[in-house]
Amino acid sequence: MNCDEVQQLLEAYLDGELTLSDRRDMDLHVSECKNCLRQFENLQKLQTQIRNVQYQPLPSALKGSIENSLRDITGEPARRSEVLRWISIGGGSMITGVLATWFVMAVLLISPASSQVEDSVINMHINSLLADHITDVRSTDRHTVKPWFNGRVGFAPPVKTFESQGYQLIGGRLDYLEGQTVSALVYKRRAHVINLFILKNYNLSDTRSIVSLQRHGYNLVSWHKEGLAFWLISDLNKKELIQFAALTQK
Amino acid sequence: MLSRKDRQRFERLTMPHLQAAYNLALFLVKNTAEAEDIVQTAYLKAFEAFKQFTGNSAAAWIMTIIRNTAYTQLTKNKRQSNLVNFDEAVHHHDLQSKPGIPLTPEESWNQHTSKSQINDCMNRLKAEYREALFLRDIEGYSYKEIADITQVPKGTVMSRLSRARENLQAMLIEQYSKAKKNEL
Repeated sequence: MNCDEVQQLLEAYLDGELTLSDRRDMDLHVSECKNCLRQFENLQKLQTQIRNVQYQPLPSALKGSIENSLRDITGEPARRSEVLRWISIGGGSMITGVLATWFVMAVLLISPASSQVEDSVINMHINSLLADHITDVRSTDRHTVKPWFNGRVGFAPPVKTFESQGYQLIGGRLDYLEGQTVSALVYKRRAHVINLFILKNYNLSDTRSIVSLQRHGYNLVSWHKEGLAFWLISDLNKKELIQFAALTQK
Repeated sequence: MLSRKDRQRFERLTMPHLQAAYNLALFLVKNTAEAEDIVQTAYLKAFEAFKQFTGNSAAAWIMTIIRNTAYTQLTKNKRQSNLVNFDEAVHHHDLQSKPGIPLTPEESWNQHTSKSQINDCMNRLKAEYREALFLRDIEGYSYKEIADITQVPKGTVMSRLSRARENLQAMLIEQYSKAKKNEL
């Protein structure tokens, strides 16, 4: 490849849009040609600057307003928080503020392994496989995957790699659980896809003990750590999934 | 008739992309209240058409609807004529060729550029350049996905991206050079 040909492909090279053989030719040329390397580095710097542009937070009422409009269409009642719904079922006006506070505490302290959440986790896992849309950001590099979540979820998910132990990070994705956007880290062990869902829950204390269950042919492991709830799911055998959970908790 | 199950499935597929959708709308219309309206309208439109959704990527699908809704709004506001604030014709001659080409001594612009300066310069680009940069560099969509979302051929996506980067770099260099002159 000469410099003119390289110039034509420089941006596709930057954007990861080249075939393997073109990429190899570019790698070779750029490693030997200072001028082309410099141009490529300038492009990379510009792209980094663009990536650093402030991602604007959602207006606070927008999500709830959309959810309620969707319920209007299906003829369902407007969404209220689960806690308020429980209160109204339990007797409405009789319940005082103190009791309401107690309800909040009770709901927030429920075990991570509630069956409703389990079902949602299983559905999210199955859907990610069925829809052929396992990742929103596809990369084995945690320095690519972790920053991708910046501004997209309200926390920084811990992204770790365990390649030498046989668990390969393949990317990340956004998903939706319990009314909140969650980060899904996707790993592979042999042919088995592992989804690690992470969501914010500052109200739960750490649970080091791993809860492992088998439902519908999937193994699930969950725990809480430092204000985050973790859900691990795969059709991988229970022993290896627990081993993977232990690695991610280190 | 859409059911509760449809609504739950729709939310699961599209709500994780709400923030990206809002940011795309904001990038296009540059006004928070309008962006909010666009997202609300687009999500309802998408839900009403949900039975027809058969694609693999709900994210790309919702982005397409957001984008189309935003353009309808832009046309309605007759703002299209004001979109190009940066005079490409004039500035294009200042560039030696591709954005990656070092323009010494201005190449050091990138060490002195703040996030808000990048934001301001991006906002001065044409809407189709802004959306190309947003979808590729911020959201990480492939050329093919961007072509599907923006309903143009892949080649057009590539040339828009290239021009967008070229223009953005020219603006940043111009800004940097002005700041240097003022210092003297």
